[in-house]
Amino acid sequence: MSEETIIVSDSPDAEINAAIQKKIGWGFWLAISWVILITLLAILAPYLHLKDPRGYFIDIDGNGRPPYGPSFEHWFGTDKDARDIFARTLHGARISLIVGFSAISFGFLVGGTLGIIAGYFRGWLDKIISFTFIVLLSFPSLVLAIMLTALLNRSLFTISMILGILSIAPVGRLARASTLQFSDREFVLAARQIGASDSRIILRELLPNVVIPMSALALLGMAVAIVAEGGLAFLGLSVSQGITWGSLIQIGSDSATTLENAPWIAFFPILLLFLTVLSLNFAGDRLRSHLDVKESSL
Amino acid sequence: MKFWMQRVAMAILLLLSVSALTFGAMNVLGDPLFNILGPLAGDVNNPKSAALIEEVKAKYDLDKPLPVRYVKWLGDFATGDMGVQFSTDGQPPVSGLIKERIPRTITLLIMAQLLAVMISIPWAAITAARAGKRSDKISTMNSFFLLAMPNFALAILLKYIFSLKLGWFPLTYKAIDPYFERLRQIFLAAVTIALPAAAVYQRLLRTDLITTLQQDFILMARAKGLSRSRVIFRHAIRPSMFSFITVVGLNTGGLIGGSIVVETVFRIPGIGSSLVESVLREDFPVVLAIVILIALAFVIINVLVDILYSIIDPRVRR
Repeated sequence: MSEETIIVSDSPDAEINAAIQKKIGWGFWLAISWVILITLLAILAPYLHLKDPRGYFIDIDGNGRPPYGPSFEHWFGTDKDARDIFARTLHGARISLIVGFSAISFGFLVGGTLGIIAGYFRGWLDKIISFTFIVLLSFPSLVLAIMLTALLNRSLFTISMILGILSIAPVGRLARASTLQFSDREFVLAARQIGASDSRIILRELLPNVVIPMSALALLGMAVAIVAEGGLAFLGLSVSQGITWGSLIQIGSDSATTLENAPWIAFFPILLLFLTVLSLNFAGDRLRSHLDVKESSL
Repeated sequence: MKFWMQRVAMAILLLLSVSALTFGAMNVLGDPLFNILGPLAGDVNNPKSAALIEEVKAKYDLDKPLPVRYVKWLGDFATGDMGVQFSTDGQPPVSGLIKERIPRTITLLIMAQLLAVMISIPWAAITAARAGKRSDKISTMNSFFLLAMPNFALAILLKYIFSLKLGWFPLTYKAIDPYFERLRQIFLAAVTIALPAAAVYQRLLRTDLITTLQQDFILMARAKGLSRSRVIFRHAIRPSMFSFITVVGLNTGGLIGGSIVVETVFRIPGIGSSLVESVLREDFPVVLAIVILIALAFVIINVLVDILYSIIDPRVRR
């Protein structure tokens, strides 16, 4: 047995690449394309010559009183202040996506670090970190988010951080579990025998192995954060004065008459939110089944 | 015995940490003095408002150090005294408000949980019997759609279709209506909470059922000539219910979070909508009481499920 073959069979990259190429399916790529498309539209929204999302397009002669239904002039219609829903929905994607992305990044940075530390060093450090995770998980996440938004200011940064805090515990637990699983494997023991330092083992040996199965969680977690932001915005507790999918849906559904007579105000933002969450969930789920992470550990 | 003592000790430790964390966050990040007095709280140079500030500080113990206040608050809370609402000059007290609203939320959650279980068992049985076939794939797709629909969006869709367009359910909740009328008024809200939960339960039960259906005793039952549905409902369901029961139990806590949004959409004056209202009014004692109550319920349910599970399956007690 040469050393070559052992390294090859132990290298997760080769196996994973092969698995992805084999049968991840077109659905995965379709879902990813939608996410990329909506991200691009959100980034480019100010440069696309959309209508002003805060402008009022009252047209007394032609259409009477707003809200106006979908037309060539206003693709998604307007709300009852005659503001263009299409422009607002695309602009709304900005906050929703920024919050989703920063929240899960923060969760990975903090939760991932804590989880790996807990799994690698074990002992009392592990006990403290694990207990912190359990305490964080003892609040239903929306309740914790509502409590924190009530106490802090509602800027883009704070909302992202609050939702980031919520993702610490789930990310951290998975990172801890995979670290525990890998830290007794031969390649880690070998590195330790050679005399590698703890930080080197964590960064060079463990991190690459732990991060790959967690990439599926990043997609799923982003979906959760986007939904949570939508929920907060819907309750009027997200970024103050901001246009987001949640607040647009709230405007379209706050009175029964608006919802009955002008359903497009709420339904178009719902459609985009739904498609984005569906895509992230679907892509995450496909990726997870290809990387073969146990469902229970997520 | 040792196992249960450990669980209970852990639960008590958790409850103390959760309440300390919430109380600390409320008092350190928030400003209770400002919540009581409004802008007057910053007006320390004016002797009149300075006197008022001192009076309020003494009345609500705001001049004592935080740990002392926490212990006092914890004692009051445990005996059912949750303080006064700031926004309504103290009437009714927080405990009165919660007593009035909590039965509605509990009714809603029980109804939602029953619906979810009633939907998911037949759904899982049918899809497990046809695993891999077309109807199974369509059902998998459907549950994917359900789980991707945020609950406030699902609530709005159901309200639009069944209340506004079809008129099957009333739009408003009226506390003075007779009991069964009120059950009808919260039915759509319960469905909103139940549908995604049913999708989760169905996925789980379906997987376990498929595993059970491959075992020898099922083959034996089929060989005796029993019909397919009889085999599933009489022989396969019961041994497949293990993780189903656990997840249904654990999820009860998760549903509490969902009820906040759903109560707001359907205008049901329960604890969830009350939490949102009190946050918007910055009514600090109400927020504190509700957050703690929800966290308490969450922890207690988890411990109960844990203990229940160890009774069903003694292997985990090691």
